[in-house]
Amino acid sequence: MKSGDGGVLTTTLEKALEWGRSNSLWPLTFGLACCAIEMMAIQAADLDISRFGSEIFRNSPRQSDLMIVSGTVTKKMAPRLRRLYDEMPYPKYVIAMGVCVIQGGPYNQGYSVVMGVDKVVPVDVYVPGCPPTPEALTYGIMLLQKKIRNETER
Amino acid sequence: MVEILEESTGKDGRRVLKVAKEDLVQLMKELKGQGFVHLSLITGIDRKDRLEVVYHLQNLEKNEYIAVKTETLDERVPSVTSVFTSANWDEREQYDLMGIVFEGHPNLKRLFLPESWVGHPLRKNYDISKVQYINMDENGEDYATFDPGDGW
Repeated sequence: MKSGDGGVLTTTLEKALEWGRSNSLWPLTFGLACCAIEMMAIQAADLDISRFGSEIFRNSPRQSDLMIVSGTVTKKMAPRLRRLYDEMPYPKYVIAMGVCVIQGGPYNQGYSVVMGVDKVVPVDVYVPGCPPTPEALTYGIMLLQKKIRNETER
Repeated sequence: MVEILEESTGKDGRRVLKVAKEDLVQLMKELKGQGFVHLSLITGIDRKDRLEVVYHLQNLEKNEYIAVKTETLDERVPSVTSVFTSANWDEREQYDLMGIVFEGHPNLKRLFLPESWVGHPLRKNYDISKVQYINMDENGEDYATFDPGDGW
């Protein structure tokens, strides 16, 4: 309940919008490294994420809601990643997949890797692992859906 | 005839030749005449007091490999682009990451990092504590910056 008395219609509409958004997450076709192989598995027949309404990996950032950053973000790639994120329409969400994306991972002592993609774009859900299993990423998407529906505590 | 300073055999049986850097281009020409027509890769090694460059050649007809080593004290090595055209980008990569200057190279620019990057990251004396970032201007050209708050 967000507004005061008589806000029944508004809150219901809000809930309906959140429900709709959470169940039609369209990810961007965006693979940076080996995590992308695991990301491809979640849309295949075994772990079909179209059960949650996100079956279509869109090829244009202008048509997608969700960016799954799957793989090491190098410093050269970071401005390009930011540009892709800026081209996505609101509301937009980001999942950081794998330890490279979360804090640099095995490249933490390196010169060429961004130490965490949250320095470049805001991240909603972190999925750790090297690489995370497709099941873990599916769980991350379900957590994001709960977050969109305001069901989780921040 | 080129003077071979040292000749040894690697674990897999490939010959390893060591020459002075002045004789390098001449030796590469002779080896190419003997059938080693494919330059697989160029390796750079930082020995702290000197820099070592290794050229890996392959004879495609006999399926033989050979490695040619040379070393330099002043970061300068003659370019072999006149013999092997494919050495162009390999030497640019070595210049980018190891700071080896190849004399006579037609286009000795950095291959991976932007031109404004300070230092050569794979050298032993590279200061990793000074973090550099890469940013992009309106034309899509990269430039390096030391300021983490700039841009992104």
